[in-house]
Amino acid sequence: MKARQRGSQKEIKFHSMAIECLVLGAGQQVGKSCVVVSMNGKRIMFDCGMDMAYHDHRRHPDFSRISEYGDFDKALTCIVITHFHLDHIGALPYFTEVCGYRGPIYMTYPTKALAPSMLEDYRKVMVERRGEEEQFTSEHIVECMKKVIAVDVKQTVQVDKDLMIRAYYAGHVLGAAMFYTKVGDSAIVYTGDYNMTPDRHLGAAQIDRLQLDLLITESTYATTIRDSKYGREAEFLKAVHKCVLGGGKVLIPTFALGRAQELCILLEDYWERMNLKIPIYFSSGLTMQANMYYKMLISWTSQKVKETYSTRNAFDFKHVLNFDRSMISAPGPCVLFATPGWISGGFSLEVFKQWAPSEMNLITLPGYCAAGTIGHKLMSGKPSKIDLDKDTQLDVRCQIHQLSFSPHTDAKGIMDLVKFLSPKHVILVHGEKPKMATLKGRIYSELGIRCDDPANNETVCIPSTHHVEVGASNTFIRSSLNPNFNFSKMSSEDESDSRLKDGKFMPWLQVKDERAAEGILVEEKGKRAKIVHLDEFLLMLGEKKHDIRFAYCFPINTDNLEDTKSTDVSSSSNALSVSGRSSWLPMLYIKLSDELSGGNIQYFGEQIQVESFSVSLCLKDRCPYRIVDSPPNKCEAVFFCCAWSIADEKLAWKIISILENRNYGTL
Amino acid sequence: MDRDLPNSSCEQSIRSSSENPAEDSLSPETLASLRSLVITPSTPDTTISSIFQTLTRSLQLSRDPLVLHHTLKLLSDLASYRPSLSSSVSELVRSHALLSSDSTRLAAESLDVLASIAEREGTPVDLDDRSFVSLCFGPSVSVRSWLLRNAERFRIGPHVLLTTFLGFTRDPYPYVRKTALDGLVGLSKPSVVEDLDMIQACYCRAVELLLDTEDYVRSAAVRAVSAWGLMLVAFNLKTKLYWSDNLFVKLCSMGRDMSMEVRVEAFDALGKIEIVSVDILLQTLSKRVLGTTKEMGSFGQCPAAEVERSASSVAGVLVHGLEDEFYEVRKSTCHSLRTLTIISAEFSEKALNLLMDVLNDDSMFVRLQALETMLHMATYGLLKVQGTHMHMFLGSLMDGNMSISSATRKILKLVKLPNLETFKLSVDGLIDNLERHPQDEADIFSVLFHIGRNHGKYGVSIINEVFEEMEPPSEGKLGFDTARVAALLVLAISAPLSHGQHACNIPPIIFSYAVTLLGRISVALTDVMNQDTLLAYLSQCSRSTRFSAMEFNLREDKPHLPAVTIASLSHSSNEINSTVGSPFQQGEDGAANLQYQAIREPMEVASLHFGYPLEVQDEVIRSMNLILAKVKDIWPLIQSGFTNEVLRVLRSFKEELATFASGSLRFVGDVAFALQYLQVVKQLAKVWEHFLPARKLCSGMGELDIALGKLETSLREMRSRFTGLSLKQELQILELLLLTFTLRLSKVESCCQVASLKKLSTTASHVESILKLGSIEPSNFMSEVSKLSYLTRTSSFGAPCDPFLFKELLKYFSLEQFVVFGTIGHIKAELVVPDNDAENHLPFVPRLPVGIPCEITLHNICSENKVWVRMTMDDESTQFVFLDLDHFGSSDEVRKFTYVVPFYRIPSALSFILRICIGMECSFEDVPSVKRYGGPDRELTYLCQEKEVHLSMVGEH
Repeated sequence: MKARQRGSQKEIKFHSMAIECLVLGAGQQVGKSCVVVSMNGKRIMFDCGMDMAYHDHRRHPDFSRISEYGDFDKALTCIVITHFHLDHIGALPYFTEVCGYRGPIYMTYPTKALAPSMLEDYRKVMVERRGEEEQFTSEHIVECMKKVIAVDVKQTVQVDKDLMIRAYYAGHVLGAAMFYTKVGDSAIVYTGDYNMTPDRHLGAAQIDRLQLDLLITESTYATTIRDSKYGREAEFLKAVHKCVLGGGKVLIPTFALGRAQELCILLEDYWERMNLKIPIYFSSGLTMQANMYYKMLISWTSQKVKETYSTRNAFDFKHVLNFDRSMISAPGPCVLFATPGWISGGFSLEVFKQWAPSEMNLITLPGYCAAGTIGHKLMSGKPSKIDLDKDTQLDVRCQIHQLSFSPHTDAKGIMDLVKFLSPKHVILVHGEKPKMATLKGRIYSELGIRCDDPANNETVCIPSTHHVEVGASNTFIRSSLNPNFNFSKMSSEDESDSRLKDGKFMPWLQVKDERAAEGILVEEKGKRAKIVHLDEFLLMLGEKKHDIRFAYCFPINTDNLEDTKSTDVSSSSNALSVSGRSSWLPMLYIKLSDELSGGNIQYFGEQIQVESFSVSLCLKDRCPYRIVDSPPNKCEAVFFCCAWSIADEKLAWKIISILENRNYGTL
Repeated sequence: MDRDLPNSSCEQSIRSSSENPAEDSLSPETLASLRSLVITPSTPDTTISSIFQTLTRSLQLSRDPLVLHHTLKLLSDLASYRPSLSSSVSELVRSHALLSSDSTRLAAESLDVLASIAEREGTPVDLDDRSFVSLCFGPSVSVRSWLLRNAERFRIGPHVLLTTFLGFTRDPYPYVRKTALDGLVGLSKPSVVEDLDMIQACYCRAVELLLDTEDYVRSAAVRAVSAWGLMLVAFNLKTKLYWSDNLFVKLCSMGRDMSMEVRVEAFDALGKIEIVSVDILLQTLSKRVLGTTKEMGSFGQCPAAEVERSASSVAGVLVHGLEDEFYEVRKSTCHSLRTLTIISAEFSEKALNLLMDVLNDDSMFVRLQALETMLHMATYGLLKVQGTHMHMFLGSLMDGNMSISSATRKILKLVKLPNLETFKLSVDGLIDNLERHPQDEADIFSVLFHIGRNHGKYGVSIINEVFEEMEPPSEGKLGFDTARVAALLVLAISAPLSHGQHACNIPPIIFSYAVTLLGRISVALTDVMNQDTLLAYLSQCSRSTRFSAMEFNLREDKPHLPAVTIASLSHSSNEINSTVGSPFQQGEDGAANLQYQAIREPMEVASLHFGYPLEVQDEVIRSMNLILAKVKDIWPLIQSGFTNEVLRVLRSFKEELATFASGSLRFVGDVAFALQYLQVVKQLAKVWEHFLPARKLCSGMGELDIALGKLETSLREMRSRFTGLSLKQELQILELLLLTFTLRLSKVESCCQVASLKKLSTTASHVESILKLGSIEPSNFMSEVSKLSYLTRTSSFGAPCDPFLFKELLKYFSLEQFVVFGTIGHIKAELVVPDNDAENHLPFVPRLPVGIPCEITLHNICSENKVWVRMTMDDESTQFVFLDLDHFGSSDEVRKFTYVVPFYRIPSALSFILRICIGMECSFEDVPSVKRYGGPDRELTYLCQEKEVHLSMVGEH
């Protein structure tokens, strides 16, 4: 039995439970992320999002599935939130303040800092604009945030004695994290949303190569593969540059956090290099406030921003000025960032109305606009007129440039991450069903990893690592401290398999160090299981080591051997031969040496040895290993006895067939 | 006095400890004060020797590992501060047999002491392989990794090291794995490992470790995979592409590693691959798995089962590298593109699209590297700029960073623009650049001049469009002050020097306008012509374009600078500072009666003479000359005996030179010549070791003779195997030969004095005859040698003279820089005997001659050369066959033919091996002629490697 030695860890437990994964949200859909994972007696909820598309109970995950009686504190060990987007955090105040969960909640520092304003914004929109019944109040948000424990990236947090979590950088938005979670030997990673390519202000996701049972990954772009960002950036800059050179105005409608900062860094850099003096404006107060957050949370930004931080904070935009309404109609070129991104109202709509009629101006559109918004209308073809409402129609003559930057990883990124982590199992969430199915197939066929894409409220059970860890004897530990490598050459027989195993090239010469597998697991009654060294084990049993050896006795036609003798054996072997019989072994030796290329054949006078195989002359009349009776002409046959251990069985039969073949060949 | 106090108290303590041998361990305080005594130079020797005794006792008696540790440390200090004691210290440490003590840690520490003493004295540590390995196998992990890291210091046999390193790649401790991998990288030399199985084993083991959980192991694994993969690639020509593809795919799969260091290593390593299947290469630029790959079902040399996996790990890797978060990775990717773009034109075109986007990178280093890669591509003629690139590309001209804009201009000088539109954009960009950065005027003018010359037609059409603009206001004075007009003038005056017939279309008046800017323009054009030449050129053109046009048209296939009389720059006497008459000299008036220095750089002479595009040649040849200049600078190092440093530096030069060889075929000869020169310098350095004053020679004198012999052979090859050498170059080689003979003569022990003397005097007279031909100044050494040689020739004794006199001569020698002009041809031969190897033998019939079919390729051999095929058998009996070149092809450059070489002296054997080789007769008078019946008259220079031909009797196998 093999056992794994794990450092000096001597105290071990027995676990045999599977990992159970209950998908409450974002199963085969993009929206309300919420996955509850049970492993080794712990139950963790990852994300607690809400679905913006619904306005009834369906917007929340079905919490009743966690606990029928609403005893969430007992049912859940903790909640982990990956980032501040509402589809990942939106239902959290409702769950804690209305449903009454009081256990620990973990999220990163930036998420904790930014979440309240996101939640508050959402609450306002719900209650004040749509006049809905409120799901939670401002006080609820405050109370909920009090339960939050903030963590830093790569900080290991021991939630309780058995449960450990660690955040890894995920890109995507400021403060987004993937969470590594480990209970006993079962370990999983829940990615949340992430980005595998960096942008101008955030880095790419970064994680260690971990031993994982399960990876739960988003799959928003399960089939899309994006080209280099450089090209898109260059197009954007070219369009903006051309417009301002021609004296036009550029309107960039964005949301406050994320895209605005990225584009602004891009423009700043270009302005700097090209020494442009045209003003860039930020319209809304929120954007300026968001910039402040970025300035404070520098350690969560991209490498470039971090590196230059000592000389200049990249979010201290040099060319950015504050905008006021009077400037909308002021002459001369400028660039303006305005919210909201979809031109669905607010300031960006106001400016759009003023600037759209001039062909000198340029409007950029974000990659995605909700249906019904002006942004959406502009995206679909190039309309020359747009109905603002029933009565007003607007001439649109300006140029339109569509941006396609996305903070989500593409399919290639997902594959790269899965390949890097090589978990035993993958579960896809946060994607569209048909696309997820395609990706699922690729993960299985290309990487050979089993993959599921459960729908909402489905549970997936996957086997977890089953380590039996035990005490180790000192001899065993000592024996594993000393290197014990050996080299092996593949025998020439395997040549026919063309050295390709599972599509991998195997070299002739291979090196092994077996020391991690040398122990023997002993379970004595009433005592803890223990790994001991082989020698110790024999001592414990008071037994000697037994080897299983096979033996076989067979005749060889001596006529034939005489032939060989006359041609092959020169006078040198005469010294050995006292009688005719004693020279047969040397002859066998010569024959074997000829036909068995590579093997390590040794001749000891009494016997010939190849690895564990040995052959010697059988002088007994009735040998117990003799299967074939004497050949017809008895007097001319000589019997040989051979023995070998199980490891060399193949080799043994090969040698025997070499020796026998000749025999039968002459018969 | 004050300083004496602690000293005396210390001495007290030493004395007390020495008086009391029972007290066998030293206290930390005592140890500290001992140390202060040891490192103080003024401590008297008696104190030091008593310290030594104390330490000796402590080492022998103490059992406390901590005390032993400090004692060893002190002994090591003692040895380094008091060199006189070092041998006793090393004796003590060795004799105390710490090496065999139970504590491997202490053993390692004592080894460290021994090794550092030995390194100071330049002697090896005698640690045998067995004890090294057994120490490695001890349980202490830190000692193990220390030993592996320091293995080089103990001169362990490479094969033992190799197995040890390979074994320890299995160690459970990641740091040991990393060290073992690093060790393997160090051993990946063809000189250490010749066994294919071993190379494959190391490669595959490193590949396995690419999946290690630790970052630093993975990055070491990438280095090892690269090193051993390249060994595998180089091992066999037949499997070269297979392994190269395999290696490439493996490295690509690390391009998406999460660790920045690993990614940098991976991209660095990708840049070392010189050959790879084009479909793999193209796949690196697309994140989508390309359709062609799917359909074809084959991907490079991958087996079908692997196709999908390989394709997906290669997909878009370079794109990822270029958009990486870390500038280190992006920079490394840009750099690796330098070599990769050479592999395939299709790839280089696509990669260029990406590189142009990289010009928008936020890191200056990356932008600069991208531009350097483009410059490299332009040098190899791979830079196919398109209209869509112009915005980004010309944008870098505006870059606030000076080095970026100047790098961009460098590329513009070389680039070939596809159409008038892009040409106009470039000129506008340059003018814009000039208006914003007037301080760069000289550089920008130079670019305008070159770009105009390279695109004469476009230049002329622009000038004719904007001619009005350049005319001065009718009544005002000449107003060429605006940057724009000045730039256009420079562009205009370049046109007559371009290829083609558009020159005459430039209004002559423009040239007289340009004269007003003479100073500014001539500053910009220093690399092309000097002020006087420029003036003459401008005035000539302004007087009569018709005339000049005719002049230029006549020379269409010849150089483009009218100011140089080509005839006088003959191939062999391209002397540098000679004054050259102008074509206008015979001309009409006094104004043209100018004499001027036409050319400063020999490179220009070469380019003029051979009509190569100046700039392309510039880059490769200039870099080569830079290296050669550096070779000259290491002469003092050789003289002072830093042989190891010299050899290392030479190795790095050699690697650098080798990169040129892989890129361009045009300068193969020059590269081979430069490599040969490096070889000569290397051998010279080795010879020089024997002439150092304090050299303790442990080997017999034969070594020097062998080294001198090698040097002479290499020089002879240098002389005979290259065509197109200038007189100057030939002289330099002869000077080195003279040096070789002088060296030989200056050693008393050296044999063959008479022969050497004879060689010396023939060579010296040859030198004299060359010196008479041209105006080359002989070096001090040459003149001194010829004086002495004249003396010996005329002296009545005629006997070998005093070695001391020759030794004196050595003082005068110093290395001179070789300059190559891109003119050298390498005489070489390739010989293939098809379908013959150890398995497939050529049949022969006993006692009948056998014909050996040879596929022969000869490079740069003219019909005057006498070429022979030499066939040698194991018993060294040799037969020569003459190749009459008149029968084989007419081109001197490359002759390729198949010839059945007859072999007569068939031995009476079942089978035999014939070594066959091609040689050329040397035609130098100092080469002793050899008389062989039916063989060559003179010594042969061999032009290829010996080939083995296997023959066996008909019917035998």
